[in-house]
Amino acid sequence: MISGKVKVTNKRGIHLRLAGELVKMASRFKSEVMIGKDEDLMNAKSILGVAGLGAEFGTELLLNVDGVDEKEALDTLIDLIDNKFYMEE
Amino acid sequence: MKKKTDEKKEIIFNGIPAAPGIAFGEVFVVNVDELPVNNESITDKEIKGEIAEFEDALRRTGEELGELHKALAAEMGEDHAKILDSHIMILADEMMKEETKELIRAENANAAYAFTRVIDKTLTAFEHMEDQYLKERAEDIKDVKRRVIRNLLGQKTEGIANLRKKAIIVAKTLTPSDTVGFKRKYVLAFVSDTGGRTSHAAIIAKSIGIPAVVGLDQFSSHAKPYDQIIVDGLTGQVILNPTPETVELYKEALQKFKEIEKELLTLKDYAAVTLDNRTIELSGNIEMDEEVENIIEHGARGIGLFRTEYFFMMRGTLPGEEEQYRYYRSIVKKVAPDPVLFRTLDIGGDKIAKWVDDSVENNPFMGWRGIRFTLSRKDIFRTQLRAIFRAAAHGRARIMFPMVSVVDEVRQAIAICDEVKDDLKRERYQYGDDVEIGIMIETPSAVVMADVLAREVDFFSIGSNDLVQYSLAVDRGNSRISYLYDTLHPAILRFINSTVTEAHKAGIWVGLCGEMVADARVIGTILLIGLGLDEFSASAYLIPEIKKIIRSVTYDETRSLVRKALLMSTSGEVIELVNRFIEDKRPELLEYIPKDPITEKR
Repeated sequence: MISGKVKVTNKRGIHLRLAGELVKMASRFKSEVMIGKDEDLMNAKSILGVAGLGAEFGTELLLNVDGVDEKEALDTLIDLIDNKFYMEE
Repeated sequence: MKKKTDEKKEIIFNGIPAAPGIAFGEVFVVNVDELPVNNESITDKEIKGEIAEFEDALRRTGEELGELHKALAAEMGEDHAKILDSHIMILADEMMKEETKELIRAENANAAYAFTRVIDKTLTAFEHMEDQYLKERAEDIKDVKRRVIRNLLGQKTEGIANLRKKAIIVAKTLTPSDTVGFKRKYVLAFVSDTGGRTSHAAIIAKSIGIPAVVGLDQFSSHAKPYDQIIVDGLTGQVILNPTPETVELYKEALQKFKEIEKELLTLKDYAAVTLDNRTIELSGNIEMDEEVENIIEHGARGIGLFRTEYFFMMRGTLPGEEEQYRYYRSIVKKVAPDPVLFRTLDIGGDKIAKWVDDSVENNPFMGWRGIRFTLSRKDIFRTQLRAIFRAAAHGRARIMFPMVSVVDEVRQAIAICDEVKDDLKRERYQYGDDVEIGIMIETPSAVVMADVLAREVDFFSIGSNDLVQYSLAVDRGNSRISYLYDTLHPAILRFINSTVTEAHKAGIWVGLCGEMVADARVIGTILLIGLGLDEFSASAYLIPEIKKIIRSVTYDETRSLVRKALLMSTSGEVIELVNRFIEDKRPELLEYIPKDPITEKR
């Protein structure tokens, strides 16, 4: 298992639509991906779990990834969150 | 289940008349609260079937949302429909599905109860969020929850799109997505608890020509499906379970309304000119392009107020220059050779746009709105101005800035207009160079400084709604003091009078684009003629009536009425004065005063 941290860069935080984008990305990988504000982590492949985090702008998120493609999954997801989900705001 | 009882009591509710006409029919409630879910256990034998039902409900909800997605994308564009993708993803959430099935298996819970418990866990997380914007996203999850529960309990969806017989739509609030894909032939009228004259329901109703009453407070919790109601969009009354006598009274009122309407429409091609030959420019207020035809059909010349923010609000995101340009151009072309008056973005107050900024203000009506907003967001302002100036090459355009309180704002905004024109010239765009620029007069300081402001601009347009609110320091939405919101207060008449005087001294024209005419109808119109306004802009349905009044009086007689009215102490005295004038001199105008049929009868 590997872990990483990333700050939410979208001004309006991770709202429902972005939660959907994150879930889509996480679901591409075989590894189990858990995400959250502290030790209480949610399954990143569940849109309700991710939207329910209430991750506003500037929140630091912890990611724990476990599985065969964990490295790639972690890098991809951190990149996504770090780059405002590749969206203009 | 349909219950019929004949012992229901007639109740009269008073709201804000938002679109004219009278409708009779059955209630069709949308946006109701959640269906009641019980926690009755199921037997071990029923577990398998219950899980199958749960999966079936998810599938059906998915199909519903897919249909809605298609309708929304076709009507408002793909971007608008995107939010529904997230809704569809919620249905496919494996964690949610597994937890629900586990509750059904382990606790013999019925599917609706199990699903509710799982979703409510997420909703609780939302309740604890501090960020207002994220917190409000709970509404999306509640929406999906309602749909699934409805499908589980075998209730038909109650979207307007599902309506298959004529009915009156009753809702707490009607949002654009509520009104997607409905069949016009089935919708008789709109009634909503919230909203004002410019709420979405009011605008849709006006543009398709059905009555609407908004701001009814608690009406939707009183009305049950299949109840009979009457909606009077002229007076703002809604009658629940009317007696046969009341129905009769309103049928007569409807008949009369239709006769008047028909007669007024014969004036369509006549000029708005008084008996002593003073011509007044009569134009229409619009929020969207579909309303243009309606304005023209009702005999207006041009658009005297195009509320541009509506296009932004409907989309929910910032439209770019090209998109705005195409939209504005289509309106300018439709209206040419008459002018279109573009009011630059007037967001703020009660409609601060979440997609621009989600800060919450303590006093938004005196906050970051109108010209204050656009001057601080010059990127948004410039984009809009570029689109308007470019559209002006295809017809006639005027530009107006809202919520002006100091002259510096006007100078700054005009300087930006000049820069924008220079840029367009340098970039070799076609643009309109003769665009008149004006301001809205809606703050007391603008009235008092009208002589100074008049030197800076080509015209004034009085925004009576806000002018009344700021002058009398009354929030119209506050029911405790709304009695103070008084369009015909002598203070308002004096303010309008001094604004017109200063404008004319400076050689510029002055119009009025608020709902003053709608609020005070005949009395208001007569006074506005006498106050010397050069232009009126109003909702389409009012135009024929205003034209009729203009053509029925002399400027001279209204002028001397105004001179008296300016010396009155109360609006009651003003109303009495004008009523006496109508009765003595112009009794044919009496029939245009909206009356409530029930009081009339007494």
